[in-house]
Amino acid sequence: MQEHYLAKWLSGELTPEELQEFKKSEAYATYVKIAEASSKFKAPDFDSKKALEQLKASRLQKPKQSKVISLARYKTALQIAAAVIVLFAGYWFFTTKNTVVNTELAQQTEISLPDNSVVKLNAQSKLVYNKPNWDKKRTVNLNGEAFFKVAKGKKFDVATDYGVVSVLGTEFNVKSRANYFEVSCYEGLVQVTYNNKTLKLPAGKSFLVVDNTQMQRDIPAYSAPSWLTNESTFKSIPLTYVLNELERQYNITVVRNNINTQRLFTGSFTNKNLSLALQSICNPLHLTYEIADNKVMLYEAR
Amino acid sequence: MTQKLPENVCQEHTFEKLFLSHSKTIFNYIYYKCGNEEKANDIVQESFVKLWENCAKVTVDKARAFLYKVSNNLFLNDVKAQKVALKYADDHSETSTNISPEFVLREKEFQQKLENAIANLTEAQRTAFLLNRIDGKKYKEIAEILNISVKAVEKRIHGALVSLREQIEGI
Repeated sequence: MQEHYLAKWLSGELTPEELQEFKKSEAYATYVKIAEASSKFKAPDFDSKKALEQLKASRLQKPKQSKVISLARYKTALQIAAAVIVLFAGYWFFTTKNTVVNTELAQQTEISLPDNSVVKLNAQSKLVYNKPNWDKKRTVNLNGEAFFKVAKGKKFDVATDYGVVSVLGTEFNVKSRANYFEVSCYEGLVQVTYNNKTLKLPAGKSFLVVDNTQMQRDIPAYSAPSWLTNESTFKSIPLTYVLNELERQYNITVVRNNINTQRLFTGSFTNKNLSLALQSICNPLHLTYEIADNKVMLYEAR
Repeated sequence: MTQKLPENVCQEHTFEKLFLSHSKTIFNYIYYKCGNEEKANDIVQESFVKLWENCAKVTVDKARAFLYKVSNNLFLNDVKAQKVALKYADDHSETSTNISPEFVLREKEFQQKLENAIANLTEAQRTAFLLNRIDGKKYKEIAEILNISVKAVEKRIHGALVSLREQIEGI
């Protein structure tokens, strides 16, 4: 008799010989009764329809199915959309984003441009340039005063409200203030475009426009503008612009009491010590001054 | 870009069909294991919830195996085993003619003995035996439900029969 013959018998898999032999055994009758009776048993009632209703009512409320499908369906589209947005944002960010450098009153700073050109920014000035596009176009927008040490290379433009200053590689200072535009060349050659007219400025020369009056002058034998060494220097400049610079350097307000601000001033003042600076301005012009908080009153000396 | 997804269980009518064809077997299987109706009901519900949650991942032809596996995993042995109580199917044909009351009584007695003997089988023997006798499952199907080989099913059935006869005859 083979292994597990009872199981084989129950499933009708015994060979006729084996079945014959099994039938002869005394246990056979009992096994037949067991097999018959056991198949008449029933498990407890289970209503699968009712169970399904119960399941639906209590557990399957959440529409998980639609969620899953919609995600799968739109996944590719969403991925593409996300990639496009990232690309556009990146493109926009890297091509149109300008770098802005600001200085407050009584503040100076130094900036390195992408080609290692150096810009020193005087008080209350603003410099804007585009870093990603720098290799194609070396242009900065300037509002205020800055000294440039330009690395050799392609044309370098400084755009101001009054004109464009173009160079190939040199050192120069640009001062662009209200009604005041001055370009001073310390090395090499600078080209200034003002009112659609172009002029070339060799080293040691400066171009000045004050109150719409243009002039070209020599600059003193400095290798760099004096403000880099914390002095403000003027040569035959109306007093009002000198006082404007004083206000910028010290973050003060200068009250001009009946004084002639159109008088020309030649000289310099320090950017480090207000009393000393005021003396430098007032003594030659026969003025007196008073300091109160952030205000300075100027009077004609009697 | 679009590819035909294999039919999954997320369609409601597919899910319902699976429920109606397999829930009873799972219920019985768990009941044979522990004799606890409530537990069997719970496990039916739990395992179909699991199927629903994973409907996108389970294809129709994998669903049956998935259900058996989940219900097996869900069945923790901390359930207090109860006596497996079985009902008798009404069999009108036998009660119809010329059967003596004595015969009926003997029959009843035998069934009572058999039920007690079944309750005393090991869990492994009982589930295999009843899945075959009550649910009419082939050994191959039982093997699939229990995740064992056909040979192992045969061993359990054989063992169950031997044990049942021994108990009934008082050996």
